[in-house]
This record gives sequence, structure tokens and C-alpha cells, in this order.
Amino acid sequence: MKRLTPIFVFTLLSALGLNAHAGGNAEAGKALAAQTCVACHGADGNSADPQYPRLAGQHADYIERALLDYKNGARTNPIMTGFVASLSKQDMKDVGAWFASQPGVVTPVQPNTISK
Amino acid sequence: MKTTYLSALVLLASASAVPVSSIAAGDAATGKAKAATCMGCHGIPSYINPYPTYHVPRLGGQHAQYLVSALQAYKAGQRSHPTMQAQAKSLSDQDMEDIAAFFAASGK
Repeated sequence: MKRLTPIFVFTLLSALGLNAHAGGNAEAGKALAAQTCVACHGADGNSADPQYPRLAGQHADYIERALLDYKNGARTNPIMTGFVASLSKQDMKDVGAWFASQPGVVTPVQPNTISK
Repeated sequence: MKTTYLSALVLLASASAVPVSSIAAGDAATGKAKAATCMGCHGIPSYINPYPTYHVPRLGGQHAQYLVSALQAYKAGQRSHPTMQAQAKSLSDQDMEDIAAFFAASGK
């Protein structure tokens, strides 16, 4: 039984760890974003300069995908390529979760033209 | 003589500062019609890109200037999404300005 205890503890910790990493942590993302992203994208992701995209309200997984694409070279931008080099996958999820939680861009839904 | 040179320089400098372009500013109403295809994905809340799996971006209220640069990047092959590359290649510079104006004006 005593031998089993470490295994139980390990399993429990792994399960907790996996849960913690399943999605993005907006608070952790806010702290990360405050270091770099804010300079161009604004504190809450509503950039003042129109050459930089608004990230506020954007889907978290789209932001994560964009960051991944910069890292793997599918998307090229000298500024962004430099920033993503130090980001882990979890960092990308966290940053995505933070900006997604802020009010900003929306899906432009056209009024239903079928119903009278 | 010096004045002439200076005047020419000033003229040249101001001409360079203004982008030489025949493109009119984007028109949101025209852009709405041109964006009919875009809305097939970007107009559906939580629409998912099939593979890799992620939500297609929300474009309502996005900066027009950024949207144009994104479309130009797809057209030039600097961004690698097959569907977006194909769409962007069919668009003129004016189309991009109009579509961008439409989405920029489609915020809350």
C-alpha cells in the first residue's frame, strides 16, 4: 500500500495538471500580454493604430492559431515572428483567452432575409 | 538657382508623401454586396475552420487598414490559408478597400 501511494499522488497531480492546461487562463494571459502585446494591440486588445488588428473579442483559438502560424512560419511578419519565439503553446492559449474575454470585434450577422 | 532646386525637392517630397493610387476610399455599402461570399463563413457565429480546427475570426469592427493588409498578404501568399488565398486572388485593390470598410463598420 505504501508503495502505491506515490503512484496515486502522481496520477492525481497529472490529472490536475492536465485540467489546468486544457484551456487558456485569461489572468495569466493578461500578465503576458502586458509585457509585449499592449504596445501595439492596446491593453485590452482594442488597438488604437489601425494597422494592428483588434484582438479584443476575437476567438481565443483563432488568436492561438495565429500565434502558432507565426511560430511555424505559415504566417510571416517580422514583428510578430520575434515575439512568438519565446511563447509556449500554453502561453498562446492564455493570451488568446485574455483577449477573447474583452469586448471588441464581433461576428457581423446579417438580418435573416428569408422570413417576412 | 538654389531656390529652384529646393522647390523641386519640396515638390518631389510632397508627391512621394501622398501615395500614388487611383483607389478610392472603401465604401461600406458597396463592400456589403462584395462581402456576400465572406459572410458564408465570417457571418456565421462560431463557424469552425475544418482542419486545423479553430473558429474563423470575427471581423465586425476590425480595423479596415488591417483587413486590407491581411487580404493583400493572402493574395501575395504570405499567409497560408488555401481558401483565403483563392478568395483574395479574385479581389482587386478596390474590392479589398470596400470589403474592409464594410466589416469595419459592422461592429456593435
